[in-house]
Amino acid sequence: MRRRLMTVLAVLLFQAVWSAASGPAAGQDGPVRGGTLVVAIVSDPGHLNPAITTSGATHAASELLYNGLLGRDERGDPVPELAESWQVEQDGAVYRFRLRDGVKWHDGTPFTASDVKFTFEEVLLKFHARTRASMGGLLAGVEAPDDRTVVFRFKQPYAPLLYQLDATEAPIIARHVYQGTDPQTNPANINPIGTGPFKFGSYTKGTEIRLVRNPAYFKPGLPYADGLVMRIIPDLSVQVLALENGEVDFLWELPGPLQSRIKGDSRFQTARTGYHPGGSNCIMTMSFNLERPILKELRVRQAVAQALDRQTFLSQILFGDGKVAAAPISSEIPWAHAAGLSMPRPDRAEAEKLLDGVGWKKEGDGPRTARGVSGIADGTRLSIDFLHFPTFTKYGELVRQQLGAVGIGVVLKTLEPAVFAPTVFKDRNFDSNVISYCNGPDPEIGVRRMYHSSQIGPAPFTNAAAYRNPRVDALFDEASRSVERDRRSRLYRQIQEIAVQDLPYFWLVETVSTRAWVARCSGFKAWTGLFAEGAFCRR
Amino acid sequence: MPSRYLLRRLAHVLPTVAGLLVLNFCIIHLAPGDPAIALGGEHGDAAYYTFLRARFGLDRPLPEQLLTYITNVLRGDLGTSFVHGRSVVAVIGERLPATLLLVSTALVLSSVAGIGLGALAARDGRRAADVSINAVALLGYAVPSFWLGQMVLVGLAVGTGLFPVQGMTDARNPQTGFSYLLDVFHHLALPVLVLAANEVALTTRLVRTGLIEALGTDYVRAARAKGLPEGMVIRHALRNVMLPVITVIGSRAGMFLSGAVLVEVVFAWPGLGRLLLSSLLARDYPILLGMFLLISLGVILANLITDLAYAWLDPRIRYQ
Amino acid sequence: MPGSIPAFDINDRPVVLGPRVSAPRVGLFRILRSGAGRVGILLTCGLLAVALLAGRIAPADPFAPVGPPLSSPTLVHPMGTDDLGRDLLSGVAHGTRTSLLLALIVSVLTGFIGVMVGALAAWEGGRVDDALMRVTEFVQVVPRFFLAVIVIALFGPGLDRLVLLLALTSWPWIARVVRAEVLSLTQREFVEAARSLGAGRSRVLFREVLPNALPPVVVAVSLNAASVILIEAGLSFLGLGDPDVVSLGYLANNAQRFLRVAWWMAAFPGAMIALAVLGLNLLGDGLNEVLNPRGAF
Repeated sequence: MRRRLMTVLAVLLFQAVWSAASGPAAGQDGPVRGGTLVVAIVSDPGHLNPAITTSGATHAASELLYNGLLGRDERGDPVPELAESWQVEQDGAVYRFRLRDGVKWHDGTPFTASDVKFTFEEVLLKFHARTRASMGGLLAGVEAPDDRTVVFRFKQPYAPLLYQLDATEAPIIARHVYQGTDPQTNPANINPIGTGPFKFGSYTKGTEIRLVRNPAYFKPGLPYADGLVMRIIPDLSVQVLALENGEVDFLWELPGPLQSRIKGDSRFQTARTGYHPGGSNCIMTMSFNLERPILKELRVRQAVAQALDRQTFLSQILFGDGKVAAAPISSEIPWAHAAGLSMPRPDRAEAEKLLDGVGWKKEGDGPRTARGVSGIADGTRLSIDFLHFPTFTKYGELVRQQLGAVGIGVVLKTLEPAVFAPTVFKDRNFDSNVISYCNGPDPEIGVRRMYHSSQIGPAPFTNAAAYRNPRVDALFDEASRSVERDRRSRLYRQIQEIAVQDLPYFWLVETVSTRAWVARCSGFKAWTGLFAEGAFCRR
Repeated sequence: MPSRYLLRRLAHVLPTVAGLLVLNFCIIHLAPGDPAIALGGEHGDAAYYTFLRARFGLDRPLPEQLLTYITNVLRGDLGTSFVHGRSVVAVIGERLPATLLLVSTALVLSSVAGIGLGALAARDGRRAADVSINAVALLGYAVPSFWLGQMVLVGLAVGTGLFPVQGMTDARNPQTGFSYLLDVFHHLALPVLVLAANEVALTTRLVRTGLIEALGTDYVRAARAKGLPEGMVIRHALRNVMLPVITVIGSRAGMFLSGAVLVEVVFAWPGLGRLLLSSLLARDYPILLGMFLLISLGVILANLITDLAYAWLDPRIRYQ
Repeated sequence: MPGSIPAFDINDRPVVLGPRVSAPRVGLFRILRSGAGRVGILLTCGLLAVALLAGRIAPADPFAPVGPPLSSPTLVHPMGTDDLGRDLLSGVAHGTRTSLLLALIVSVLTGFIGVMVGALAAWEGGRVDDALMRVTEFVQVVPRFFLAVIVIALFGPGLDRLVLLLALTSWPWIARVVRAEVLSLTQREFVEAARSLGAGRSRVLFREVLPNALPPVVVAVSLNAASVILIEAGLSFLGLGDPDVVSLGYLANNAQRFLRVAWWMAAFPGAMIALAVLGLNLLGDGLNEVLNPRGAF
């Protein structure tokens, strides 16, 4: 009895001494300072100025060097960053921001409102494609009445502004570095000065970018790591190998086939998100060219939708990493996503009935033949082409398989982005295609361009279907002007109900990224470009 | 070495280079698609792309662009990269050393190994060695280099943990001085192995056949009869074989570079191979033009050096 | 070029380390005497059989899903299935057919162009020879693989494009071989004899000279065929292959992402490529041994 008591006491004593000796740094909950984080990225960014491009590669590599006026939380809602507070005036035609005090650029120069004014007027509105396309026509001006105040004035109420001010959509760059120069060739692009948690260390082209801790960062205590290295590894499978081999700590994208392997391994942690520095909240969308005779007929489009089993797309192409699209707007924008809509369900028998009803008859093997289809000569085969990027070949193959089963012939055409865009949007030379339409942080940014009739034109990744519905146009215009979120929710819900009825597109799957990192590191924020702001690693 | 011969060879080079320039330019600029979209991404409006096109001079007529390009090249200016915003010479220059390291090490390794293996295979009375060496060498050639690379990665690197799986240097702890050299060679080991494995077959077989032939000649038989050690006999015979071997190595320069592209992609080696692929996707015309020119020049140079070495080694050529 | 390349001396003559067989016509069955030749013939014929019988071995459409995705080899699917549930045996059989067909077409075209150019240059001599040799040198210097990468990446993938591209860039070597052969043969006695008997120039060319110039061409073509298969595989690996056709390169490319979860997807196509290249090379070797028993080529 005494011996057992002594043993227990010894163990307790030992534990007490152990935790005392290890100090707070090794405690299970507290962050650990120091160390170098190694992150894998897929391609060489080319330069490190995220304000002049929407390229995912540049943003992934450089956003840790900068900040936006606002940041984003896990739900995608705006939180203070360079701006500590804001007011919306005149129903959303004027936005007034109060900037934080004491923020400095990496070279010691104080950050002021003139930096914001300069960045928007001279850089973002000229070079950043999303800012330019969404705000460009509607922004009347940006004013900096004093060093800590910025005022945005719009020609009419502009609802989405607060979702477009993070480091991905509107990173703020230094006026004293860029003023009077050409932002695209300024040498600061490879020797950047920002306000972000990390400062620039070195950039070895083709290999890596080294960042060091910013000791003067305006968020006290952050960042924890001493340094961060972005290693360029183009092949995702090799990235996983590097993660397993201990050469890399964090991956932006875990490839589908290897997910179960990594998720099941206790040495690693994962997190899913719809956010991506090149384009967020994306839905793989099949577009129908409504100007083509075969697809003009709604019942044919309905038949296509019912012939496709979207669950197989999710399981075989994405390996379960994503969701079947339940509505035209991504579920990653919860306030705009219309839950509970009745999307077409996979039903081959029903699809065949619809096609028969239109006049497309099954005659022997192969695609159906037209017999009494209005607007189409008898004897024509039911065959459509399907255009896609090389990376989306699997989507094409599944579509071909599944539509073939109901007698719709599909001819696949692979086109590189630079050729795809003019073929689809300028020449409109296609029957159907698949596009990764990214909704962006706000539907105004990525959804409007798909349905509004004013967006039919040569600019790429706009209204591919050539959908024209005055009611939908009016709803979008109203949503863009209403600042109240509830009101916008209701408007977007109405739009989605109409879209599901009209089927100008068929929304296949929502794609997400799964980030992965070693379990001894934590504090990563998967939903933003400032992902490593609060990250640390235990030994 | 008569300088007349040298000058003659050089004179052949110029029209070839000029022809390559024009060919390259035409291919790249006649390709379908809008480079502005590749450059600017997908989110812009029509005005944005017009702006980009004007900025990069892509809206000028083709002959005008060609003329501008040629005059610039003659001045040593290969243009400015669309994507990187810096001169093409600078961008390519940054990546060149890594590729040169990889290719030259593989060249040396495969040549030395090829000569050694070929000599081994050609020795008298070693039929088993001959057949097996030939088989292994041929297998190294027949297996696609990217496939071999992936097998090696999964098997050797991750399997044993002895080798890194990517890059040229350690990301976490950058080294300096001598440890830097060691680090680089540690990373170089697997890519070089895979690249060299592909090329060993050729040298091995050439040396083997040449040696077998040379060892059958009269003077060798006489040397053996006189009691000269086998090693020396082989060395003498080797000298006669070097001529075609050198020629072959030189003319294979192009294949080495292509193999390097595949190996660089598999092992994430930061060289020109990956720059080529990313520039193609981004339609970065100045880089593409510059790279193709550079590679062609490299091949021409290799051929030139080989011819000169040949001329130097073969007295018959010298006095023509 | 793969395999044993002829070294060329300054006068574009192949470097031959020994006298060559001088009989005007060579019985090709002598190839069976060579060990390498036997293996080569065996492999090549085996592959041809697979290619021709692809329809029988694997009647399923290689693009159609027939089983559970990513399943390892079983009796029903001896080579397993891929990520979309497609039978890999069908894929490999059809892929072999495509790859061999590609190699065949390119070889025929290359051989044709090379022989025409080389024979013309040697026969006519003078300015024609000079001009054709300039062109040959130029085409020879162009790096084939890089050109293919650039053209396909910019103009889009397609086997037809690849065939054209490879045929237009692979002929110089053959042209030079033919030219050297024709040049050396025109000095031979039997040609003199034929001409003294009153045979016209072109008659001599076609009936006496070319058939004797052909053996090295046959060797060269078989070696070139092997390199075509490797180039197609390499291009597919880089994502530049034709996505509408099942080829061995397409399968190998598809298998990359699944290397660690489905080894069979990479193993079988890779092995097939190796066998094809090996077979064609050994065939070329065998032919070489028969036609030039004492030469490096």
